[in-house]
Amino acid sequence: MKYRVRRKIGQVVLHGVLLLGGILMIAPFVWMVLSSFKPSLEVINVEFGFFPKTWTFANYLRVFQEVSLGRGYFNSILIASGVTLSVLLSATAAGYLFSKLRFRGRDQLFVLTLASVMIPPHIVLVPLYTLMNRLQWINTYQGLAFPFLMSAFGIFLMRQFIRGIPNDLVEAARIDGASDFRIYWSVILPLVRSSMAVLGILTFLWNYDEFLWPLVVVHDNRMMTIPLILGHFTQAEAKFPGESMAACTLVVAPVLIVYAFFQSQFVKGMSMTGLKA
Amino acid sequence: MVKRKSLNTYIIFVASLVLVYYVLVCVWPFTFNLYLSFRKTDLLTENKFIGLGNFRFLWKDPVFWRSLRNNIFYLAVMVPLGIVTSLFAAALIYRTTGAMRKIYTALYFAPVVTSMVAAALIWQLLYHPKIGLFAQILSSLFRIDPNNLTFLQNPATALLCIIFMDVWKDSGLRTVIFLAGMDEMPDSIFESAKIEGASEWRQFFTLTVPLLRPQLIFVGAIYSINAIRLFVPVYMMTGNPPGGPANSTKVLAIQMYQEAFYGLRFGYGATISMIIFAILVGLVVLELRSFEQRWEY
Repeated sequence: MKYRVRRKIGQVVLHGVLLLGGILMIAPFVWMVLSSFKPSLEVINVEFGFFPKTWTFANYLRVFQEVSLGRGYFNSILIASGVTLSVLLSATAAGYLFSKLRFRGRDQLFVLTLASVMIPPHIVLVPLYTLMNRLQWINTYQGLAFPFLMSAFGIFLMRQFIRGIPNDLVEAARIDGASDFRIYWSVILPLVRSSMAVLGILTFLWNYDEFLWPLVVVHDNRMMTIPLILGHFTQAEAKFPGESMAACTLVVAPVLIVYAFFQSQFVKGMSMTGLKA
Repeated sequence: MVKRKSLNTYIIFVASLVLVYYVLVCVWPFTFNLYLSFRKTDLLTENKFIGLGNFRFLWKDPVFWRSLRNNIFYLAVMVPLGIVTSLFAAALIYRTTGAMRKIYTALYFAPVVTSMVAAALIWQLLYHPKIGLFAQILSSLFRIDPNNLTFLQNPATALLCIIFMDVWKDSGLRTVIFLAGMDEMPDSIFESAKIEGASEWRQFFTLTVPLLRPQLIFVGAIYSINAIRLFVPVYMMTGNPPGGPANSTKVLAIQMYQEAFYGLRFGYGATISMIIFAILVGLVVLELRSFEQRWEY
């Protein structure tokens, strides 16, 4: 009896602590959304108030007047999708190359791709910037996407998965007269579709969030991505808090809504592959 | 392995694409960066060889040492704090089942999927001495003058404030990684420990934590690397110019960016990025070493 009561109390404490922690984790988002609906006088008011006393859309209207958020979305989504497509194709193609095919210099080439993890674009900003300058790719979509078109992490991941595909399958297709291009497209790709989905989600999220490279390579307002536009608000140093929070809400909400629907895929994918290196 | 001796068009096409891309994005930039680190150049009018001049300047540059110290402080606080809090959360969530477990995971994971730029902007305002939530709560609960609650404007606390934001941002990811590790552990050893009368605390420290070694090393390595490469939160949260107040949040990546793209000292910027590279290589070697050491059930 006593044991059962103690167990009950333990359960209540456990869920109480977890729930409190969970609320603290999402409290910043709730505060963001609520502040975005407050009139500016109310935001600046020192008096503590979590909920808006009067609700207003003025902050949102001003965000749309001040920055071209629509264009930002377009730029960000275009680049993140393009990079994701390129990473998926190159990672699977190179994964097949490094796991099932044999040629001279293969291992050296694989080591070179892995070594690139230690030299991310953020470390060689200056040389990459001069390269973009020479190619006249400053302020262009090619320039924004270029350093991320292939991913060593993706190649490594896909090599691991394609390795697990039985050689007999590849061999059988070859006896049927299929070329390696054909085998890659009709045998390998359909078999790694689920891991491609994981790599795709991660690549898209990381590139949607990329900040430092666009900061270097974009100077034209029309080429700005979403993170750069948000950066514009931080330079205002909290002078327009309601607008900042409205802009944040517009950026964060779509991702959180998508996440709410595909929550388990996100979590599984991230825990399975670990993290970007 | 499928045996193929002859080169075919697939091999030539894919291998040369990979080779050309990594030469362009990695080999050549690294070589050029090394070359720049021995020169004084604004990439326009001035470009001269100065030998080890940049490195000598670096050695005497107090801002560089401050940045390096901040990076190390960030690593030394953020990594243990991030691991301990997520380990605690994982241990608690591990005891729940079914729908509640899914709900907790979803709540803790939500900040992970949001963009770092937006997260940093939200927290910059949360920390604001007048309108921020923290200041409002503290001043109404404890009657502290909000003018004294300068979180990000105070050199003593600014970097810590950024660390707390970063711990919050990714704690869900670390929790999920630990949770996956805990789910993989065999039940049998915990049962025998229970029979021998080991308390739950004891089980946690003598069984769970040692068995999580691979995950702990992985998480430790990833976040150490992130601490050395740190840029976005500092840039977003410390105003204009980033790194303030009084260089208290200046880190290597921020200084590198400022030297190169504000000061047009591209040679010196390249020198600082060589230092970041050297530290990264050291960390990766350390990580590989600890992974190689065997662990057994």
